[in-house]
Amino acid sequence: MTGLVVRLRLRMWWTAMSRSSLHLTSSVLGGLAALGVVVVLGPLIGLLALRPPALTAITVPIFTGLTLMWVVLGLIAAGVDNVLDPARFAVLPVPARTLARGLLAATLTGIPALMLMGLSFFQVLAWLSAPVAVPAAALAAVLGTLTAVVASRAVTTLLARVMTTRTGRLVGAAIVSLTTLLPLSLNLAVARGQRIDALFAFDAGPVARAASWFPTGWAWALPFDVASGRWLPAAVHLLLAVALLVVLWAVWVRQLERVLTSPLTSSGGQSIGAGRLLPAVLGHSPVATVTARRIRAWYRDSRLVAIALRTAVLPVFFVVQSVVTGTPGLAGAGVVTLAVFAGLTLMNDLAFDGEAWWLHLTTGLRGWEDRLGRALASVIVFAPAVAITYVVSVALGVIEHAVAWGSVVLASFLAALALALAVGAYLPGTAPRTGGNPFAATSGGAAQGCLTALVSFVGPLLLVVPVVLGAVLTLERPVGRWVVLVASALYGLGLLALGVLVGGRRLDRRGPEMLGQLAHAQM
Amino acid sequence: MGEGPALELVGLVKEFRGRRVVHELCLSVPRGSLYGLVGPNGAGKTTTLSMATGLLRPTAGTARVLGIDVWADPAAAKSVMGIAPDGMRLFEQLSGRELLQYVGALRRMPHDVVVERTTELLTVLDLAGDARTVVADYSAGMVKKISLAAALIHAPRLLVLDEPFEAVDPVSGQTIRTILRRYVASGGTVVMSSHVMELVEGLCDRVAVVAGGRVLAEDTVAGLTRGGSLHDRFLELVGAGEVVGDGLGWLGAGLQGGP
Repeated sequence: MTGLVVRLRLRMWWTAMSRSSLHLTSSVLGGLAALGVVVVLGPLIGLLALRPPALTAITVPIFTGLTLMWVVLGLIAAGVDNVLDPARFAVLPVPARTLARGLLAATLTGIPALMLMGLSFFQVLAWLSAPVAVPAAALAAVLGTLTAVVASRAVTTLLARVMTTRTGRLVGAAIVSLTTLLPLSLNLAVARGQRIDALFAFDAGPVARAASWFPTGWAWALPFDVASGRWLPAAVHLLLAVALLVVLWAVWVRQLERVLTSPLTSSGGQSIGAGRLLPAVLGHSPVATVTARRIRAWYRDSRLVAIALRTAVLPVFFVVQSVVTGTPGLAGAGVVTLAVFAGLTLMNDLAFDGEAWWLHLTTGLRGWEDRLGRALASVIVFAPAVAITYVVSVALGVIEHAVAWGSVVLASFLAALALALAVGAYLPGTAPRTGGNPFAATSGGAAQGCLTALVSFVGPLLLVVPVVLGAVLTLERPVGRWVVLVASALYGLGLLALGVLVGGRRLDRRGPEMLGQLAHAQM
Repeated sequence: MGEGPALELVGLVKEFRGRRVVHELCLSVPRGSLYGLVGPNGAGKTTTLSMATGLLRPTAGTARVLGIDVWADPAAAKSVMGIAPDGMRLFEQLSGRELLQYVGALRRMPHDVVVERTTELLTVLDLAGDARTVVADYSAGMVKKISLAAALIHAPRLLVLDEPFEAVDPVSGQTIRTILRRYVASGGTVVMSSHVMELVEGLCDRVAVVAGGRVLAEDTVAGLTRGGSLHDRFLELVGAGEVVGDGLGWLGAGLQGGP
């Protein structure tokens, strides 16, 4: 059975790859990225072997964090495996325990799991600095990796039940998207003027001891305990780690049993408000109608809620970090980043509609109306966020040349929108399935991301260059700054108009082909 | 516009990656008829209807709706027809009422007319109680009905429906039948696909049998069945599989002996 499930997974993976070049590219790129992480990070960890055990102890917090991230990221990327949805086994006479073993083995053959195993191997090498701890490190590697995989599985299935209702999905999306920002806050804590060479004389002991009592750190603390001769904590950690694994396994099997016996999730009819406000404000023209629908989606569609939250919270970190470290450029760059990201969210807007876009096609909606409607929705949703972040940063005094930065922020927001409108009409991108798990951002999404990443990152930069030049040249000129601000607003609006026209014309000409692409845009 | 056919397909061809799925298909649907398109699974019904309605670009051939070339002037053609494709998703974050109003606004109808017709359609199709429920939470039959409502809202002159009765309960089915008959009686034209022969036989005026991307037969229902049932005629035309003859003999064999 175990072998069968593993073969099934590989088979499905292979079929998916051979059927679509997008999938193939994404798998290859994903594999290379994972390999890169292992090749770069692994030896760094391994080199700790040359350092005293006090420093090697840093592996404890690192792997504690890694395990936690693995569980959370498993939710977001469903990178674990959405290929092997346990519900698909519901009609077959398979006991949950057997299936769980199979799914575990299948997960371990996946790229993310292999990456984690690679890194934990280097963790064992790192403990060569204290030979007595090596067997403990090996045990930790096995226990820790299994904990990560099983925890991820258990939490995913647990949350999947919450996710069957729309409200549940919204709440879940909010929590998880904010959790992904944890590493940034970690970065914030570390960035308090620490120099990198100071790290080598650093005693990681206290941090390791703290991390060792965190559930995901129990297993990874074993070699540290042994190396420092703390036998009692070692015993407790071992006990706890094993117990955690057993409990997680039991939870997962239980959840699987539930899924296998009641695969059909029903959410029941959930009623929503009358939604009269938006039409009243925007009117009833086709453009306004599209705008109203996209605005509603930003708060009704859990997939978009997750993106909006992440986009909106990201710059807060830049601003806070700027305040903490006193680096003035950081806040400005943070606001610009928010502006660009907010604009680029339009890039795969069509993919979020998916096949439902036929309603636009069949009603004879003009391409420019589709484009403009979406642009207005993004402006209404994100412009206040950008403006507030900017104003707050200026008020806090972390943005020095307020007008110059203002010009750049304005131009980058409009330029990113324009770019997304035009490019999105050619490359619709991919999106998680409508009404599905909002965290099931697929590997295919990564591929499309790679294809458009270049455009997304280089494009806005290039488009904003003239504004940046203007802003820098007029830094010392009181009147010139304002001229640049007005000019960049006009420039941005010009780009936006161009984006609407170019994207709109493309949709007018290739609407049916776009519909065909959109039929496969959701995974 | 003259008195030509409501829908005319001439030499329609569709190839997917070099594989031809619709072979120079020709079809002419007279105005004021309720026209059934029947065929086995994978016959090319949906592909044909998609090409006829501007959702899928044909490899070759022409499609005319009330004399308007669908692929030369898609916007004009789409303004006179209402389409309810099968299995295509709707904007699921909208409630039923919002969806209808959305489609009405996209079709540039005056807002008060949209509101009035929306309420009427929801009531007639027994969806009034779920008008505020998002389409994502609709059952398959409800989705069918709301798609039909979306196709009807602008009072089109041609209705193209792909499997309009699938998953619809008998009561709603009867309502839809009545709506379609009344619509045709008042001069509208309906083209619908189905694989339920009894339904097509009882409802449609004319039938085309499609299989393998070709029209095998096309006539009035009476002309095609010649006294027999459409079911038998269909099997005869498509060629009923003889597989069931002696195959699967083991199925049920274990039931006689013991537990």
